[in-house]
Amino acid sequence: MFAEKVIELLKEAERNPDTIDPFNDEKIRQILEEMHLLFKMNMNDANATNENKSLWTTVQVRHSALERNKRCLLAYLYDRMKKIKTLRWEFGSVLPPDVRELLSDEEYQWFSKYSTNLASYMRSLGQDIGYSGIDLTENLKPPKSLYIEVLCMADHGKLELEDGDVITLKRNSRHFLPTAECQTLIRQGVLKQIV
Amino acid sequence: MFIEDLRNDFYNVLLGNRVLLLVHYDVDAICTCKILQGLFKCDNISYTLVPVGGVSELKTAYEENNEEIKFVVLVNCGGTIDLVDILQPEEDVVFFVLDSHKPTDICNVYSDGQVRLVYKDTEENIPNFDDIFRDDDEEEEEPEGSGLEALEATVEKRRARRAWEERRHTLMFNYTQFSYYGKPSACVALNLAWLISRCGWPALWAASVAAASHVALHARAPAQCLLDTDTLHRHIAGGQHADATKITSCRVVLEKDVWLPLYRSWSVEAALRHSPAIGPHLKLHTLAGAARLRQLLADMGFPLQQARQAYRSMDVELRRCLLSALEAAAPKHKLPAPSRAAFILQRPHAPPRPAHDIVYAILGLIEHENMSKGEGFQHALASLDTEGVSDSARLGLEAAQRSLEAVTRLVNATLSGRRLHLAGPFSYFIVQEGTPEARFVRGPLWLGVAARWASSACGGTRPLLASAPVDDNNCLLLGVPPRFDQEPRNLFGAAFEQAARKSGASVSLELLDASVVTLPTAQRPQFLDALTALLA
Repeated sequence: MFAEKVIELLKEAERNPDTIDPFNDEKIRQILEEMHLLFKMNMNDANATNENKSLWTTVQVRHSALERNKRCLLAYLYDRMKKIKTLRWEFGSVLPPDVRELLSDEEYQWFSKYSTNLASYMRSLGQDIGYSGIDLTENLKPPKSLYIEVLCMADHGKLELEDGDVITLKRNSRHFLPTAECQTLIRQGVLKQIV
Repeated sequence: MFIEDLRNDFYNVLLGNRVLLLVHYDVDAICTCKILQGLFKCDNISYTLVPVGGVSELKTAYEENNEEIKFVVLVNCGGTIDLVDILQPEEDVVFFVLDSHKPTDICNVYSDGQVRLVYKDTEENIPNFDDIFRDDDEEEEEPEGSGLEALEATVEKRRARRAWEERRHTLMFNYTQFSYYGKPSACVALNLAWLISRCGWPALWAASVAAASHVALHARAPAQCLLDTDTLHRHIAGGQHADATKITSCRVVLEKDVWLPLYRSWSVEAALRHSPAIGPHLKLHTLAGAARLRQLLADMGFPLQQARQAYRSMDVELRRCLLSALEAAAPKHKLPAPSRAAFILQRPHAPPRPAHDIVYAILGLIEHENMSKGEGFQHALASLDTEGVSDSARLGLEAAQRSLEAVTRLVNATLSGRRLHLAGPFSYFIVQEGTPEARFVRGPLWLGVAARWASSACGGTRPLLASAPVDDNNCLLLGVPPRFDQEPRNLFGAAFEQAARKSGASVSLELLDASVVTLPTAQRPQFLDALTALLA
């Protein structure tokens, strides 16, 4: 009673400030129940004792508890929203299933909307100067160099770059390529970065 | 076509384009490549680097990578062959050739823009355009006129044409008679780096190694070597001044140093025994050779025990006086001057590294007994790094020691076993297949070291041929001119070509150094016979 549950909820959420917890359905349901209860009791008392002003203090206390619950819940949701926003920048438009499970349905809806918005914004960037958009999520920090030197470790065949150039990846040939293009191949072990 | 302005006509053209970099397997090329890579990295010129070993490899490398490529830079390859004819490129592909192999193919010289030679050597006597090429279409037009006059005019024209053809033939013969090396490509690349103000220590170091390689491998006459490094000396001296206050970073210095290979990572005795400059003069293949070496060490005042242990754990006093002791003792044994001005890389918290050790290390890596050439090439590039810790240099130094030991063993066994045969105008030796040393001299570079060693052990007045097995059926044949240390122009390139024609042997002239050929082992005797007949 009186906003104890909601404080518990916030404390739980605060324990992991960097990661997102599963959406706490159960607790939120309990808090909403508590709020309903408080509201109902207030209604009863307010209607029943129109004349008797001795109960007003009680009503007031209940009302502030109600409002506190509301504020805390909003804070909880807002905090999660901020975290979901960063998820979009970290994971891209498709969430891995284990992260997806942590979100509630409404939150996921919001995520998809945000994702679409962001994508259409990024597409619109630079259209006036002939680019078809810029992927803002690619380099969140300024890269040290746009190109890196890589050594080809295996015969991989042809690789088409974004600008249309085609290069042949053959064992023991060296290439100086845009960083973004080689990341996946480096992860696959076809290329090796030379530092 | 030669490039006049290194910066505007070469480098600025490459800016912003994809470049295909084809690099030959030799020390100079690897150093040049290192300098160019540094420049390309700064300017975000994306490139593809493929090492090539011969003409056919050059062809496949070009065919595999020519998609969307408009600019090809060839380092130490392609200058001596007609590129347009061999590679059949598209019209708009431009080749920049930086090749120290000479003579340059005449078609490359007079190509109108497709093949651009980056550096013009003043030593080359390139025949004039009019003496070599002639419009044949004009010839076909029969002059109209009365019978006799027309006939006379035709005859006159034919005679002029014959005379011109003869003259062309002589000119071309004189021009292509010798194969030799020009200024190290790395010196040209260094010049470029300096022009665009990016001449740092890594570039200077790479150029120093290239210059040292031309000295160590006798690619150029000593005087020319000195002239080549002129700009290098100046840049190093200039850098010294700027860096005088801080020794926190690495730098290259020019110092008088003992001209022994790898002695800093070896022992003094081993370095003396395996040094291509001193070893032949000690005549180690003879019974007296070992005694002479001990005598030399005694004259230097080095106890055997000290001389045989690793240089770095030798007595400090002895280490300090090595140079003066060797200089004092050398004349007594009729040894050549054992000291030279050497480029040394000084690094903080690491032992100094002389450039000519790295030359041998690179040789050891690209012609490693087990490693493939391509892998060795990558290691060789890494061994030129001035900073950071890499295993490549250590790997190379170890390989070089093993190879030098093998070369010494091989030459000593050949000479003491009287297997250096005399065949008319030249002498030759053949490395038998199956001997433990054969593995080490599969490549032209180490075989060249062995051949020059044998040549100078015999006085060096006769040309010398060396042959070693490459695989089961083929063998390598390499020629060393007489007095190679003074006049390294090599006549064997043209001679091999003619002998091949006469003997009908299926000789592959595919290596870029014309004085090295591969041929089937079965046809070797008949080829040598033809060569004897030709040169006699």
